Amino acid sequence: MIEFLPQWFISLIGENWAEKLDYITNGKHLLWYASIRFTLIAAFGGALLVVFFGLLGASLKQSRFWPFKLVGDTYTTIVRGVPDVLFFLFFPLAFEQTVEYFSARSHCTAEELAQVGVWPPCDAAQWYLTQNEYLLLACVSFGIIYGAFAANVIHGAMAAVPKGQLEAAASYGFSSRQVYWRFQVRQMWVYALPGLSNVWMLLLKATSFLSLLQIADIVLWAERLGAPNYFARVGPVHPDWRWKYYLVLFLFYILMTMLSERFFERLQAKASRGMQLAND
Amino acid sequence: MAVIEWLADNAFVKDIMIMAKPALFNIYFALASIPIGFPLAVALALGKNSTHRLLSNFCRGYIYAFRGSPLFIQFFMFYSIALSMNRAYWKPWGIDDIVLHPLFLGPVVLIFNTSAYAAEIFYGSLRTVSKGETEAAMAVGMSRWQTFRSVTWPNMIRLAWPAYTNEVIFLFHATAIVYFTLPVINEQKDLMNMAGELFERDYNIFLHFSVAALYFLVISIGIFWIAGMINKRLNRHLLSDASVKIGFKPNYMR
Repeated sequence: MIEFLPQWFISLIGENWAEKLDYITNGKHLLWYASIRFTLIAAFGGALLVVFFGLLGASLKQSRFWPFKLVGDTYTTIVRGVPDVLFFLFFPLAFEQTVEYFSARSHCTAEELAQVGVWPPCDAAQWYLTQNEYLLLACVSFGIIYGAFAANVIHGAMAAVPKGQLEAAASYGFSSRQVYWRFQVRQMWVYALPGLSNVWMLLLKATSFLSLLQIADIVLWAERLGAPNYFARVGPVHPDWRWKYYLVLFLFYILMTMLSERFFERLQAKASRGMQLAND
Repeated sequence: MAVIEWLADNAFVKDIMIMAKPALFNIYFALASIPIGFPLAVALALGKNSTHRLLSNFCRGYIYAFRGSPLFIQFFMFYSIALSMNRAYWKPWGIDDIVLHPLFLGPVVLIFNTSAYAAEIFYGSLRTVSKGETEAAMAVGMSRWQTFRSVTWPNMIRLAWPAYTNEVIFLFHATAIVYFTLPVINEQKDLMNMAGELFERDYNIFLHFSVAALYFLVISIGIFWIAGMINKRLNRHLLSDASVKIGFKPNYMR
């Protein structure tokens, strides 16, 4: 990096700072900065699925057909009662095993299948997941976990839609399904937005778990870059600097929270144009 | 006899027996954090509400920072800071064994975290304590401290209680990540460690993680039950339909 800089700039900031600048722009550090993409993909991909699972869960909870309602309530209750990190680890591993189970049934011999405590039963059934596949599974995990939170928010927001509007729609001859999708769901967003912004904050903070699935995200890179560095030829490069890197991540997440807050404030202002809200 | 033998041989029952001790570690982390986190949160809430500019801004900043960043990162950060201060401070003072011990450092970080979340809850309830009641207290000649003691404080706790219960549940769930960041010493394993270890033994993720989840679920319900009884006591002077209700799913948000 330093070789691309003009000489006057280096003399302006001084040799000492130029060296530091050179250090934090070396190849490994650039990889660290680039690994933010995993965090962002997980956050935005997760958010899309959160909305999907949230709508699904809310529809189930609102259903008049009791088995659906039971499924919806069980889903939100179980996810509510279990730590997010437990489910976050459980889902990708369980999904992998389920796939391996079916591929083992078709690829392994009967004796191999009968073994206990060996997984997968034979090498042919082993499914090696790449980092990107783990990332995808992580997104789905986030979707399921925070979808349960969103389901509750949306369920509450659905109830907040004025009944008169739905009755008016019904009296114009819309079927109950049309009333649901064209009126209740569309009106619901304004009421759900504050709650959904909370869910987004939770999801954003949960993206720090990606390293638990061996995804080389910003947290894993912070650990690698900060760990005391020693080369046999050069000697110690730097002592334990991990706290500096984690401090940067700490600030990074606070900054992301600030940006999200701003964004949701704008969105709320835009969505509630012409609405009479209680807190106005 | 056959029933007992079957029970002793059942993998599910075995798992429940194995995980009883690890569950105690999760309970310990939560129990060790609450007695300090609670008063600290009240202090922070009062500080944020104070008219003193500097104090108010400090509390606001503290709450914002700890609510705006992941606990996972906070654990890593505090542990690495504690490690890097080891040679200069802990070791010369001879307290490195205590400071760097997860059973000490875990609750410390959890206290930092939960006090910020709880402070925001108490701050919210502090703002909703009815003005009329505090004015009435002033009018009968109570001092500021008396007003706080007999009007603001009980109302603040009562209004915040359901949300605080929710925060305690989140805190208990957060204890699951303590040992992902801090070192495991000997047999001091929590539910997640144990579930992971059993999983690596026989790869039965559905069984081991479900049992760990069951422990979290059951203890969460226990916390709701205890908190519900306290809530009833806090609202005992009110008509039953005017009091704040607590249930397994009141506030979903942290």
